[in-house]
Order: sequence, then C-alpha cells, then structure tokens
Amino acid sequence: MPTQVRKGSSELVLIRILDGFAGELIDAPEEEIRAAAKDLGMDPEARMSAAFAGVTYPARPQPSDFFDLETTTRLTIDRKIPGEE
Amino acid sequence: MPQIPSLVDDRVLRPAHTALGLGLVSRMDLLRLKSIARVYARGLPPELTWEDMLQEALTRIVTGSRRRPDGLTTVAFVAGILRSLRAEYWRRATHGSLGNGRVPMDRAGEESLALALPDPAPGPERALSARQELVAIRQLFAGDPTALRIIEGLGEGLSAEQIRRAAGLSRTDYDSARRRMRRTLLREGLTCRPR
Repeated sequence: MPTQVRKGSSELVLIRILDGFAGELIDAPEEEIRAAAKDLGMDPEARMSAAFAGVTYPARPQPSDFFDLETTTRLTIDRKIPGEE
Repeated sequence: MPQIPSLVDDRVLRPAHTALGLGLVSRMDLLRLKSIARVYARGLPPELTWEDMLQEALTRIVTGSRRRPDGLTTVAFVAGILRSLRAEYWRRATHGSLGNGRVPMDRAGEESLALALPDPAPGPERALSARQELVAIRQLFAGDPTALRIIEGLGEGLSAEQIRRAAGLSRTDYDSARRRMRRTLLREGLTCRPR
C-alpha cells in the first residue's frame, strides 16, 4: 500500500516540523547538549554560563539595568493588569 | 487565580531557580527546555519571545497551575505547555483578544481547549510568517540533504518509519541524521541571541 502523503497549510507543516524538533530535543542526551555548548564556547557547568541566558538570568536588558530598583518595584506594584479588577 | 510565589513575583528569583530548587528540573533539563522554547517561538511575532514563553511555562509548573500527569517527564510536560502557549497566542490573535501578548495565569485551564479546537483559517500574516520560517529551517539544514528529507517527512506528518522508507534511509543513516539535527538545534537553542 503506498504511503499516504498528507499535505497541509504552511502553518500546519511548520507545527508538525516544530513538534518533530521538540521531540528530538526532549530526549537529547546530556553529552550532545554539552557538545553543542562547547561548539559555542560555553561551559554549561559554570554557574553563570552563557548557555543559561534567558533561563536563569535575562538574555535581554531589563528595566532595572537602567532605572532605580525602588521606582521599578513601585511601578510593578501599581501597574494594573488588563482585565483584572 | 493561582498565586505566584512572592520571590518569583518580585523577580528576586526567576521561575527557573525555583524549579531547580524544588527539584522539578535539572540544569541540563533547563538547557533542553531553552532549545525547545526557541523551537516553539519560531514564526511568532517579536512581542512574544522564547524567553517569555519559557518563563511562563516554568511559572505554571512552579505554582502548580499545571500538574504533570504520571509517567510524563517534566521536560516533555513543559514542552507541551510551550506548545499550548503558542497555540493560545494564535487563537487569541485570530479572535482579536490579544492584549499585551501574555496569557493570564487564570486562563491556564483553557490550554487544552485551545489545543482541541481546530484552527480553521490562519490569516495571511500568519501564513506568510509560517512560510518564511519554513524557508529559514531549510536554510538551517541546507548542507544536510538527509536532514532535509527527514524534515520534509515531518512536515507531511509521516511517522519515523514512513520517513525512513520514503527517503530510502537505513536505520543507521536515519539515526545519524537525527543526531546531526539535534546538534544543530541545540547550537541554535543555546546561543545567546535574543531570537
């Protein structure tokens, strides 16, 4: 019986591919992660390794990098969340 | 509404620290999840970043707003949350209810509904974005024809065995190509680039 090819919209094709990629990464062996990090010159064993940018510390500049922390905290507390009364 | 632990709420600790401290994930798991978050952020507009998605997903497991089913690893569970955050983003964008791109914590229970609902008609912007991302993925693996054949099979919804047969690959060649693909995806995933 010939293989049934199921084509779809670009978005459907994309999400199938992304699911396949995620499935590969879920079970990625630790040695492969270490090897990929080494390719990038990173040491994942280091506490502040660049590999953890965006995970354990922000990858992008934060408001607190530019503004007074106390002011930032007050703004965060005062800010209303849309739809939450 | 689920409560976020105060340290997380004050951003003294990031959810990843808390998840590590509670033993929910290992450091290597976090790197897997970073790469997976980058995968699921592909084709999304700039206002929703992989970093935001990852922090949101980790917050949900830390606060217990999403409970991991027995038999599912935490990485697979968080990957599912990341996928549903993507679906939720597009569902809300399609229905015009997108505020600041964030999914409120009390909407967490709607994720399964978002996944269950069919996605009838992606708009032209979303379709264009998907096509651009498919081109970017093909470029990423341009030097690896075997990987490209596997990706084509994934896009057609074929199983691993169907892909292997359709591409005429031995099990060894197939596994080697998958290993190369993982290495490429991990390199892309661990980089410090914002997107």
